[in-house]
Amino acid sequence: MAELVLAAVTPHNPLLWRAISDPVPDDLKPIQANFARIREAVASHEIDVLVVIGTDHVRQFFYDNSPAFAIGKADTYHGTWENEVRTFGMEYAELTGHRELADQIAGRSVQPDAIDFSVSLEWRLDHAFVIPLQYVRPELDIPVVPIHANASMPPVPSVRRFVALGEHLRRSIEAWDSDARVGILTSGHMANDVGGPRTFAGSPDPEFDAAAAGWMRDGDLEGAIRVCSDFDRLTEAGCMTYQYLNAVAALAAMGRPADHVDVPESRFSTSPFFLWRTR
Amino acid sequence: MSKYMVDKFIRAVELGDATVAEYVADPPAFVERWLAGGGGDATGPTDDRVLTEAEQAAFGARDFGALYALGAHPYLLWHFIEAVYEHEYTEGFGWRELVERYRAAVAPQGLVDYIP
Repeated sequence: MAELVLAAVTPHNPLLWRAISDPVPDDLKPIQANFARIREAVASHEIDVLVVIGTDHVRQFFYDNSPAFAIGKADTYHGTWENEVRTFGMEYAELTGHRELADQIAGRSVQPDAIDFSVSLEWRLDHAFVIPLQYVRPELDIPVVPIHANASMPPVPSVRRFVALGEHLRRSIEAWDSDARVGILTSGHMANDVGGPRTFAGSPDPEFDAAAAGWMRDGDLEGAIRVCSDFDRLTEAGCMTYQYLNAVAALAAMGRPADHVDVPESRFSTSPFFLWRTR
Repeated sequence: MSKYMVDKFIRAVELGDATVAEYVADPPAFVERWLAGGGGDATGPTDDRVLTEAEQAAFGARDFGALYALGAHPYLLWHFIEAVYEHEYTEGFGWRELVERYRAAVAPQGLVDYIP
């Protein structure tokens, strides 16, 4: 049977792409070091497939066709978008998909009981997927199964559905008739406001950030569920804070405290780095 | 449908370099062409394009405070404004100044309802 050997949470802030360059500014050095730590963990765990959970930023999915959760079943994916190359200086990327694991997770004929997915066989992945991969596996040589979780276009899925997503990922990976070693890479934010009244003004809610790091450090899934069940509370912490729930999915998948928790402050607010490892 | 159309317009402009350049060259003319179906992304499931007079005026004037008040999606709006104004960055006016100007325009309005 396949094995879930690692899970990691990173930021996907695309502004880092221009900012982390030699010489690296002091406030970004801890972010660079954390990406390096996770890059080393991915390499040492000899991962065959990465399930990458991210939130498309109203690029691939818009209000005309917005799924709560979508899973990629394509053989290959393009990344990224013209506007992200323009605005962030990102590079276009080509990624290989992993259809067999995608089918295992989504079901080929009937949706799993725990959670349902839209499927996509033509998907241009935005920075939520490309940025974490480019930092933790710059070779881009590990096949991926991308999963989009809507955190931008309310109504958004409840935190309990993110928990169901994580638990379902573990079950379906462990039930997969394969000797593959699988990793989960998720990304998002702590408190974060883009386009709201506190845009790029440091962390909009340090109290939320501290609690959100604590849930990962303590393996406190119930604590995360309790606070993150309140949409208004998360919105008060910043209009894009809901992406934190991708980290909750990773916690649910691993079912234990993270082995590494660091949330460095920088000019761009607070960056989450959580890692569960088995080696 | 109005907030939806505001977001649809923003997205039609911001996703492509060519559409940003066309909009920046003459915002009111681009708005007019888009409403007539002749500009922006025409690949969506419908081609209905309706903006109120206030929305048309805000896009024509690149007025981010007004667009925020009208319920534009904050994330989309910020990146739209960034794309539209970066053509005008000079030694005395750059990204940081744009952030400050943007925040000053939207902060007094607090959290607005941006859900279509």
